[in-house]
Amino acid sequence: MSNQKREPIVRIVHLSKSYGNIKALSNINLEIYSGEILAIFGDNGAGKSTLIKILAGALNADQGTIVVGDKIYSSLSPSKAIRLGISTVYQDLALVDCLDVASNIFLGREPAYAGFFVDKNKMESESRRVLQGLELNIPNLNSPVGLLSGGQRQGVAVARSIFQGGKVIIFDEPTAAMGLQESAKVIKLLQKLREEGMAVVVISHNLHHVFEISDRICVMRHGQIAAICETKNILPNQIVELIMGATNIEAYAAAGV
Amino acid sequence: MRKSKQVFTIFVLIILMLNIIGCANNSTKNTAAEKEKAPVEQISDAKVAANEKVLLEQLQPLPKTNQGEKIGILVITLANPYWVSLKKSYELASKELGVNVEVMAAPTEGDTKSQLETLQAMIAKDYKGLIISPIEPNNLVPGVVNANKKGIKVVNLGPGINVDAVKDAGGKLDGRITVDFEEQGQRAAEYIVEKIGKDGGKVAIIQGIPGAGQSEGRTTGAKKVFENTPGIKLVSIQPANWDRNTAYNIATNLLQSNPDIKGIFCCNDVMALAAADALEAAGKRNGRIIFGVDFTDEAKAAIGTGKLDGSIAYSMDAYAKAGILLCLKTIQGMDVPQTVKSPLAVVTKENIKEYSNWH
Amino acid sequence: MQQVKRLFVTGNQNFSQILLGLVLLITVIVLSLASPFFLTWDNWRNILDQSALQVIIAIGMTFVICTGGIDLSVGSISALSGVCMAVAMHAGVSVELAILLGITAGALVGMSNGWLISQLNLNPFIVTLGTMSVVRGAALIITTGIPIYGFPKAFTWWGNGHIGPLNPPMLIAVFIALLGALVLNKTKLGYYTLALGGNEEALRRSGVAHKVYKLMVYTICGITAALGGLVVTARLNTAEPLAGWMFELDAIAAVVLGGTDMKGGRGSITGTIMACLLLGMLRNGLTILNIPSYYQQLAIGIIILVAIIVSELRLRNAPGHQKNS
Repeated sequence: MSNQKREPIVRIVHLSKSYGNIKALSNINLEIYSGEILAIFGDNGAGKSTLIKILAGALNADQGTIVVGDKIYSSLSPSKAIRLGISTVYQDLALVDCLDVASNIFLGREPAYAGFFVDKNKMESESRRVLQGLELNIPNLNSPVGLLSGGQRQGVAVARSIFQGGKVIIFDEPTAAMGLQESAKVIKLLQKLREEGMAVVVISHNLHHVFEISDRICVMRHGQIAAICETKNILPNQIVELIMGATNIEAYAAAGV
Repeated sequence: MRKSKQVFTIFVLIILMLNIIGCANNSTKNTAAEKEKAPVEQISDAKVAANEKVLLEQLQPLPKTNQGEKIGILVITLANPYWVSLKKSYELASKELGVNVEVMAAPTEGDTKSQLETLQAMIAKDYKGLIISPIEPNNLVPGVVNANKKGIKVVNLGPGINVDAVKDAGGKLDGRITVDFEEQGQRAAEYIVEKIGKDGGKVAIIQGIPGAGQSEGRTTGAKKVFENTPGIKLVSIQPANWDRNTAYNIATNLLQSNPDIKGIFCCNDVMALAAADALEAAGKRNGRIIFGVDFTDEAKAAIGTGKLDGSIAYSMDAYAKAGILLCLKTIQGMDVPQTVKSPLAVVTKENIKEYSNWH
Repeated sequence: MQQVKRLFVTGNQNFSQILLGLVLLITVIVLSLASPFFLTWDNWRNILDQSALQVIIAIGMTFVICTGGIDLSVGSISALSGVCMAVAMHAGVSVELAILLGITAGALVGMSNGWLISQLNLNPFIVTLGTMSVVRGAALIITTGIPIYGFPKAFTWWGNGHIGPLNPPMLIAVFIALLGALVLNKTKLGYYTLALGGNEEALRRSGVAHKVYKLMVYTICGITAALGGLVVTARLNTAEPLAGWMFELDAIAAVVLGGTDMKGGRGSITGTIMACLLLGMLRNGLTILNIPSYYQQLAIGIIILVAIIVSELRLRNAPGHQKNS
């Protein structure tokens, strides 16, 4: 509870987004803090991906603002988001399969002489360093990323995000397509990031993982926030009931934040 | 399953029917041809001999033959029946004169770059002489210069190479043989004008590739006649790039804008036949004159059936033979005239029978 | 053997180039056995000279195809640039300035292709098909269909001049080849070109101005096409509005034969160059062997088909080859 008085690193204020007649997000208010894992949980169509894309600058909201530090933004672009320190590891990983590991890790931020000659050696040595730091074992940095296993690819995507030098790192369904062993590795990774003081936001529909690692849970339903509470103050079956539409939202909300 | 079987049966029946009709067509053609052979052949041969005589006179004294020299020949394209015919004539003449010829061509009427590349490749071989017909006055100039450097004699047959450009580039042509393109256009136009008669009428010219020697020459010749004849109105001159399809479309459009057109002069037979087809398809062939140039085999048949009104001919065999003789003269170091010209014949449906065995 | 098979199906660039190199070697051996004229210096000068033109244009095309796109308008651009240079020179403009004008014309067309494709997200095939007609039409209108000929020696030098045993087209080709290889393999533009083909969305989400880079790639293609126009116009001493016919198909054939994946993301300048040499040798060899040009068309067509089939088999399981888009 010593976290209660700290300043949020990113604030989402009154965010709304519609696709034609469909309201994907309505009036979202959310705060993100450093050194914490925030899980965003919800069923399909709840609006989780839309929210994340707006944060990452890949989509623009119709209404509302994003506050980073003391600056207020009504919209972001991918490059702006990255510059502000918000990195995203997408569900589809957004890797370029035919390029090698180092190139992917440095995508968009290649070290270069004179502005255009890429410093391949530096890329490789830095990549090796980051991957070792994440305790990821990828033997051949020159092999195309498409040939790596799911966990290794995830690692590369994470390394890229870390390299983007962020304060906030968002994961969209990080363990969705993984087996037990690899999921365990990813979970360890997420915890490590929290220890290093990053703000970690995780979208997941794996309740078990959510309860295993998150500090707070934000439950979304039909484009709205159903509840935000501390993980230790809520039970898994209560979350399920929230998703299914129990009316006692006030009671559960009171239990947290 | 039943439906596809039915379709298949119908398909087979149609093929069968076409075959049967085709056979009937062939048999009537053959018997007719056999009847005509003897007397006409003699007339044609006489005409060819006369044509050849005029050419050979210009080439006196004749060079030594049967020495087996290797000559490379570059025509425009073998996708055009004219050059295919000429190739045959070259090969026939080479046998008669005892020399070795190899005939190459560019892939299409307009591919100037490939024609030059083919020439360059030929120069790397061991020909003693080259006979070349360029697509355009300038595209083979670098090749001529190269050939000069290697001591290979260069004779220009047909469409002209730009002599000034060759000189500027430091080269020379060793010989030139051609037909008078202007004369071809002129005589074709004269026939059209005569047939239209004193009532006069509208005429048009369909050209080949603009800028090409034969095209420009024939257009100029025909234009002079049309513009100087009272009562004749030249309504259009349009290029069809020697292409059948393009000429067909132009003729169709001409009909649309000038439904009362009386005569069309096309710079070659390929285009003339296409124009005839176009007029036929519109039901407007009768009473109009369509004239071509080259007298290819297809044109010959068409004049016979009345599809084409006429074409300008010169004996390809004599032309090819003269070309090779000219080349031999240059190889053997003899003097040559500035330009050797082939005489022309105006072949129309009136005198087609005399030319049925023309070659 | 397993190792070789693995190298084959994962689209390993080095492996495919070694394969192409072998084919090249075999072709040289076969053709020199078939004709004593094939290996002469004179003949090889011709082959290099003629391949030079193809190399110049194919390198620009390599970049475009690496992004998963295509440019059908290069032939028309060659013609237009030649026509622009011709008109300028005949109007009294100096040779250097005229050449610059022609190349600028090519760059502008390339840029407009790039803009339409990247900004409006239109299909490259359709856009460049349209541009092809528009540009060809422009060339025909400017010249009223009649070729323009007769240029100063300083200009025709670019097509027929001599620098020792070599000539300007060859040197331009070497320069463009080196530049192309440098850019594709060692610069950000090169990396992003491959990324555009591999996963453009990833590039976008990484905050890269992907549209700008795509525009640059098509502009490059326009410039190389214009350089091709310079070489052809100077060599023939004629600016033909109908020049450059089929240049795009030759270029695409060379790029595919050289191992670049048409779906993008994977490409090689070296491969393109070797393919241009191979095609040049074949055309030359068939001419030397006195085989008529329609057989040349057939032979080269078959080779291209075989190359595409081999390419697909090779890349079937390669990373990044199957994509949803």
